Amino acid sequence: MVSRRIIYLILTLVILIPLLRPFKLKPLPMKPVENLFYYINNMPKDKALLISVDYSPDTEAELHPMTIALLKHAFYKRIKVGVLTLTLLGLGLAEDALRTVVKEFNERAKTREDSIIYGRDYVFLGWQTPPLVPLLGMGESITKVFPVDYYGNRTDTLPLLQQIKNYRDVGIVVSISGSAIPMWYVTYAQTTFGVKVGAGFTAVSAADYYPYLNSGQLTGLLAGMRGGAEYEELVEKHFGKTKRRKATEAMSSQTTAHIMIIILIIIGNIIYFKQRRRK
Amino acid sequence: MKVRFPLILCLLMGIIGMVAYYIPHRIVQNFDNELRNTALRIIFAFSLVLGVGSIIRHHWEKIKRKREFWEYSYVTLISLFLTAFIGLFGGIDGKGLIKMQIGKFSFDIHTIYVNMAIPLGATMFSLLAYFMASAAYRAFRARNFEAILLLIAAFIVMLASVPPVARLIPKLPYISEWILDVPNTAAKRGMLFGITLGVLSTSLKILLGIERGWLGGK
Amino acid sequence: MFLFFLFTFVIEPPKNVKAFDNPNDGGNKILITWEISPSDSILDGYEILRRSEKEECFYKIGFVGQGRNSFLDEKTEDKINYYYQVASVKDTIKVLSAISNPAQSYPQWFHRGKLIILLTFFVFGFLILYFIKRARKIELFIRRIAGLSAVEEAVGRATEMGKPVLFVPGLTGMSDVATIAALNILSEVAKKIAQYDVKLIVPNNDPIVYTVAREIVKEAYTSVGRPDAFNPDSVFYLTDSQFAYAAGVDGIMVREKPATNFFCGYFYAESLILAETGAQTGAIQIAATDSITQLPFFIVACDYTLIGEELYAASAYLSKEPILLGSLKGQDYGKLLIIIALILLSVSSLIFNFIIK
Repeated sequence: MVSRRIIYLILTLVILIPLLRPFKLKPLPMKPVENLFYYINNMPKDKALLISVDYSPDTEAELHPMTIALLKHAFYKRIKVGVLTLTLLGLGLAEDALRTVVKEFNERAKTREDSIIYGRDYVFLGWQTPPLVPLLGMGESITKVFPVDYYGNRTDTLPLLQQIKNYRDVGIVVSISGSAIPMWYVTYAQTTFGVKVGAGFTAVSAADYYPYLNSGQLTGLLAGMRGGAEYEELVEKHFGKTKRRKATEAMSSQTTAHIMIIILIIIGNIIYFKQRRRK
Repeated sequence: MKVRFPLILCLLMGIIGMVAYYIPHRIVQNFDNELRNTALRIIFAFSLVLGVGSIIRHHWEKIKRKREFWEYSYVTLISLFLTAFIGLFGGIDGKGLIKMQIGKFSFDIHTIYVNMAIPLGATMFSLLAYFMASAAYRAFRARNFEAILLLIAAFIVMLASVPPVARLIPKLPYISEWILDVPNTAAKRGMLFGITLGVLSTSLKILLGIERGWLGGK
Repeated sequence: MFLFFLFTFVIEPPKNVKAFDNPNDGGNKILITWEISPSDSILDGYEILRRSEKEECFYKIGFVGQGRNSFLDEKTEDKINYYYQVASVKDTIKVLSAISNPAQSYPQWFHRGKLIILLTFFVFGFLILYFIKRARKIELFIRRIAGLSAVEEAVGRATEMGKPVLFVPGLTGMSDVATIAALNILSEVAKKIAQYDVKLIVPNNDPIVYTVAREIVKEAYTSVGRPDAFNPDSVFYLTDSQFAYAAGVDGIMVREKPATNFFCGYFYAESLILAETGAQTGAIQIAATDSITQLPFFIVACDYTLIGEELYAASAYLSKEPILLGSLKGQDYGKLLIIIALILLSVSSLIFNFIIK
C-alpha cells in the first residue's frame, strides 16, 4: 500500500514538472505517421480532407493535438477541409480545434487570399446520429446528410460543398477516436465507397489496429501523443515553425514517465530476484 | 409462447439481417434500412426511458431505506434533474426556452460540458497512468522464459517512444515497429480467427434457439 | 488565341468509353470506364456527359480529376438506355470522345462479391451444427478453463465473506456478440448466486443491455426455484459515458468491497481502471473479453482471464449442456481448416515468390 502511494507521488512529479517546463525534443516520425502525412500532402487538388473528430473530453489531451496538426497541415497546403463528428461530445472539441487553427492562420494572413475562410477553405458539418446515417449517406451526398452545418448555414450554399459532394471528392477521411469509430469508416465507408481512411488512436488502443494498417485498409495511423508529435514534426519540417506544438510539449512528460516506468520495472525485478534468492 | 415468440422474432431478424447483407436489391435494402434506423432509434429511445427510470428508482430506494452511503444518491439525483432542467430550458448554447443567464454566465449544456464533463472525463482517463505504473511494477517480473521475452519486447517498445533514445539508437524505433507489426499482428490475427469463429458459432446458436442464456436459459 | 489552337491540337480525347450496369447494387447506377487520354498529364480532368433514349442531346453529369478512368452515374432510371461521352478538359477547351455503347441499370438479387463469404459461412456453419447434432449422442472432451472452473470457488468465497459479487457486462451494446456472450455468462453466474444467496450487483452502460440483463437475472433466480430472492435493484443502469461509468463502478467497488468481480464482454481504455481498483480492494477477479488490446491489462490485474474465444465458450462450459459443447468442437475444426488453408497458401506464396519469380 505504502509503495503504491510512493509510486503515485513520484509519477505525479515526473509528469507534472516536465509539463510545466517542457524540454526540447525532436520526435523521429515513424512510417505509419509518414504514410498519412505524405498521402495528404500529395493529394490531388480537387480532393478534400475530411476530419472526423470522434473523441470525447476524456481523451482530449492525447487526441486533440492530432486534429490541430492535421488542420494546420491542410491549411498550409491549401487543402479543402470538412470537419464532422460522430460523437456528440466531439462537437465542442472540433469547434475548439477549428477556432484555434483558423485564428492562428488568419493572424498571419495579409490578404483575403491568404486567409482561411469558412465555406471556401473549410466547413464544419457538425454531428449526425445514428452514425450509420452519415457514414453511408456521405457516399451519396454530404449536403443531404448535413442539410445545415454546425452554425446553421444551408450547406448547399457553401462554395466548398458545391465542389465536394460525396466520398468521391474526398481524398481521405481521418477519424480520430479513443474507441473503434475509425473502423466504422473502414467497414462502411471504405467497403461501400472505397474512400481512403486514416486514423488517430489513443496509444493504449492503437496496437489493436496495426493489422488494418498492414492490410492497407488504413492509409496511415497516428498512435497517441507520440503520433501527434511526429505529425507536428513533419508539418514543421515542411512548412516552418508553428505557434504551439502541444503533442511535442507533452512528450517531455511522456518521456520522463516512460523512463520512470522502466526504472520501476527494473527495481521490481531486483526485489523479486532478491526475494527468490533468500527463499 | 413467452419463450417461442422471442425465439421466432430473433430468428426472423437474424435472417433479415443476413439476407440484406447478400441481396443488394433496393426493396430488401430499404426494408433493412428502415429496421436498422427507424426501429432501432425508437427502441433505443424507449430503453433510455427505462434506463433513466432505473437510475431514479435505484437511488430513491437507497435514500428511502437509508442504505450505506445513501447521502451520495442525493448528489446523483440532483445532478440528473439539474442537467435535465438546464438542457430542457437552457438549451445547448443558452438559447433555450428560458433565458438562463446571470451576467455573462450562461446556464446551458455547453457550460456543463466544458466545465464539468471535460475535466471529469480527463481526470478519469489520466488515472490510467497511475494504474499502469503500479501494475507494471507489480506484474512485470522475469519469472520464466516467456516473461523475459515479454519484458524485453516491452523495454524496446517503451524506449522507442522516448525521442532522445530513439535518436541515439535510430534502429530502435524500427525494431519496435517490427515487434508491433510482425509478432504482435500475427498473434492478434490468430486470436481474431478464434474470436470470429466464436462470434459465428454464438450467433448461429442464438438464431437457432440452441443458446438461450439471453432468455434467462429457458 | 494561339494557345487555344495549340491545346485543341495537342489534347486528345479519352478512348474506349464503355458503360455498363454497376454490378452488385440496388439499381439506378451505371459505371462508365475509359482509357485515359494520352494528354492526361496536362488536363484539368474529364467531364462526363449523358443522354438517355428519351433525350436528344448530351448533358454534363459529372467531372473527375486527371488520372481517373471511371465514373459512377448514380442517377439513372432503371431499364432505360443511356449513352455517354467523356471529354478531356483543359481550361475552356473540351475534346469529346466517341459515344459509348448503350447501357441500362437494373437491381441485382445477389451480391456476387460476397459469394466466398457465403460459402465460408456455410462450411463453418455446417461444421458447428454437425458437431452440435453429434454431441447429443456422444460425450465430448472439453479442456479445463481455469477462469471458469474458478467461478464456483469465487461465488463460494463471496458467500463465506458475506460480500457481494459484481458483474460488469462490458461497454458495448446488444448488437455486439461479445455482450450477448457476457450475458450468457451472467445467466450461469446468476443461477449459482441464486443458489448460494449472495448479493449480486450488475451496473450497466447501455439501456438496452440493462433491460436484457435484468430479465436474465430474474429468470436465473426463477429457474433455480428462488424467484422471491431476486432483488430488482441489483441490476441497474449507470450511464453511457465511458469514464463516468468507470468512475461509477470504481465507486461501487470501493464502497461495497465485492468479494468477486466479473468483467465480461468488450472493454476499452477503462479496463485497467476497473481491474486495478478491483485488485486494490482485494477481490477475486475473473475477466473475459475479446478486446485484444485490453487483454494485457486484465491479465496483469485479474486472477483469471478468459482470452478471446474463451469468452464465447464460457456459457457452454458453465452450463455443461452437450449441444452447446458440440459447437465448441465445431469451432475447433473450423480453426483447423483455417490453419491448413494458411499453411498451404503461405507455402504456395513462398514457392511462387522465391522459385518461380
